[in-house]
Amino acid sequence: MTATIDAAPIETADRPSFLHSARFRMLAIVVIGIGVMSAARLIADNPDITSSGTFGAGLRTAAPIALAGLAGLVAERSGTVNIGIEGMMVMGTIFAGWWGWEFGPWMALVGGIVGGMLAALLMSLATTTFGVNHIVAGVAINLIAPGIARFMASELFVGVQGGSVTSSPGNSGSIGAFTVPFLSGGDLFGWQSPDILGKLEDTGWFMIADISGLAKGLTTAVTWDVVLTIALFFGISYLLWHMRLGLRLRFAGERPSAADSLGVSVHKMRWIGMAISGGLAGMGGAVLVLFSNRYLENQVSGRGFLGLATMIFGNWMPAGTAIGAGLFGFAQGITLRTGPGDLVRTLLLAAAIALILLVVWMLVQRNYAPAGTVTVFAVVALWSYFAAQSPNNQLVFVTPYVVTLIAVSIGAQRLRPPAEEGIPWFKGMQ
Amino acid sequence: MYHNHHPEGENMIKSKKLLAIAALAALGLAACGSDSSSSSSTDAPDTTEAAGTTDATATGDCAVGVVYDITGRGDRSFNDAAGAGLDKAAAELGVTASESTPTGDGDRAERVQGLVDEGNGMVLGVGFLFGDAITEAAANNPDTTFAIVDSVVDAPNVASLVFAEEQGSFLVGAAAALKSTTGTIGFIGGVENDLIKKFEAGYTAGAKQINPDIEVLVNYISQPPDFSGFSDPARGKEIAASQYEAGADVIYSAAGGSGLGAFEAAADAGAPGDVWAIGVDSDQYNLVSPELQPYILTSMLKKVDVATFNTIKTFCEGGDASGVQVFDLSVDGVGYSTTGGFVDDIAAQLDDLKAQIVAGDIVVPTAP
Repeated sequence: MTATIDAAPIETADRPSFLHSARFRMLAIVVIGIGVMSAARLIADNPDITSSGTFGAGLRTAAPIALAGLAGLVAERSGTVNIGIEGMMVMGTIFAGWWGWEFGPWMALVGGIVGGMLAALLMSLATTTFGVNHIVAGVAINLIAPGIARFMASELFVGVQGGSVTSSPGNSGSIGAFTVPFLSGGDLFGWQSPDILGKLEDTGWFMIADISGLAKGLTTAVTWDVVLTIALFFGISYLLWHMRLGLRLRFAGERPSAADSLGVSVHKMRWIGMAISGGLAGMGGAVLVLFSNRYLENQVSGRGFLGLATMIFGNWMPAGTAIGAGLFGFAQGITLRTGPGDLVRTLLLAAAIALILLVVWMLVQRNYAPAGTVTVFAVVALWSYFAAQSPNNQLVFVTPYVVTLIAVSIGAQRLRPPAEEGIPWFKGMQ
Repeated sequence: MYHNHHPEGENMIKSKKLLAIAALAALGLAACGSDSSSSSSTDAPDTTEAAGTTDATATGDCAVGVVYDITGRGDRSFNDAAGAGLDKAAAELGVTASESTPTGDGDRAERVQGLVDEGNGMVLGVGFLFGDAITEAAANNPDTTFAIVDSVVDAPNVASLVFAEEQGSFLVGAAAALKSTTGTIGFIGGVENDLIKKFEAGYTAGAKQINPDIEVLVNYISQPPDFSGFSDPARGKEIAASQYEAGADVIYSAAGGSGLGAFEAAADAGAPGDVWAIGVDSDQYNLVSPELQPYILTSMLKKVDVATFNTIKTFCEGGDASGVQVFDLSVDGVGYSTTGGFVDDIAAQLDDLKAQIVAGDIVVPTAP
């Protein structure tokens, strides 16, 4: 890091060295990561670890969590700690189940957004206008939402064919999916294009097959709501960092009194921030409803809180949140495949290989003391791989959470939340 | 930290805070109220009078209280089946019925005790999650009879109503093997506990009975004490999709509401007749949309209504209802559904297997 800063102005005044840029480091980490996974796949002889099916499962698992994370990000950037995302997602599921059944899948998406927004506006009334502690208000939303959902379900779905107090009758129609032509063999005006990535994946070549699996997983049978989710990450990034409204939203979270002195209405910004946040969380609920084609009580099951964890992992940035959600989605995705135990073993092997590479790097850098510590971890990971011939299922199921925990604790070293989030603000405060 | 230069402003904030707290409290109460009102004890409808019982107060020997699992009546499955048994008892036996539905894990014991305090002679908990609550209540109220569905509580005044799920699962496993053309079938369990493992054990044994070389793919959605696996159709669908991708053409879901997701995956995986799904507990052919019905091969039936009614009947007629009561194939406590007619061609083979199980020629394992 320091070398980059010292060297940059002298050597590369007009041509910044790509080899020392953060971009290059990111690229190097990604390439090494794929290499490690590929090596683990070949050694453990488990092609499913980087198959398109596994990555597809990861993407579908990640989408609602990513939306919850993005919802938390917008709320917290504008100054409200939104612990009520879980409840907003629940409101999203019940509205999506209702509108999806009455009006079709696209209206399920709209209904989810509306439901989440209603819950968010209720919370905004408490936090922004009345100055209620944000945690208390968020917990209240989480407690109220399931009650409202149960009440609505009993009014709407009971007595309908396929519906019950815990389930909607099912959406009328599917939202449809998209497969990229040529890359993954999607249809082009009724003509089946060649599945190039699929053929590369089947070769099993080192790294080539893994990259193809990743690309094919992300471009095969992606439903339109997931496409929209990905688009929203770019949209929200653009809003927050390239538009006037975004600047004001962040201003309300960083320095509300300064924003106020410059004529920005802090309360208005926090209301808008919460409305967007609730809409995103509710859409996360709608994505769940669209995937399983119905509302089912308790189907959110903690994804709102996982979203908040990915937001913190991502340091309140959209890209980081997306990576966090993707990581968790992949880790949970492998538990949903056939033979999850073997996949977790392969993941342990990959961790061992990565740690061994880290030790080698540290020895080259002459960091002997930390290298010793990492060696211990590498040995533990390698031993677990050989010892756990058929791992305990408890271990398998805890994997996504352990991966998230490790990632958050590594990532948490350099976090910076919005400066004055969670603090009720009123005119005249400094 | 924050200096307020406007005392009036501070007062205004305070009053706003009070207002907000009042509003939130009101909402909270409203939310609780809506739940408890639907779950408060209600005497059985006019059927009580129709049966000639004029004793409307829940003090007689034949007053029965039922505590449902969290989802409550209207789930079109387990709780509705227990409710149907209770309704039948109210109509045919003149039982005074009371019902209650918990709103969370915390108030199970209170609701059981509440029904005891109302004077019910028998209190029935629907679902194995009532194990602790019933154990505690049975010890505290030795004069009351208790019953629990799906779990064994070892106490002199408790009737433990358990089902031979492995026997019913054996038959649907055999049906899966008879219908499979790929030689690979799947099993999805909601939560990996001993109860759901019984389903897996029976299913696998039934499939191997038909085809010893069959491959059975097994996945569970969550691990206890995380019971989200019974209500997460998204994960259910994802698992079913990967099992179909791996070559399975029949998948049996013992996963509560998550099974609905597995049915969706069947529709994505292939044409009706090529891929199948098997339901659980109740006849799920009747629960799904018409587009999915051609995929529902059969359902493993668990006749909670029969068990509930029989136990109440024994109790009301002065019999000893306590102890472990197993509802198996011999008393039609478990079975398989035939709606849709997809198993008509193999019904003879299935009935032959059923006869062998009842006769004791086939002993179905209860653990995989």
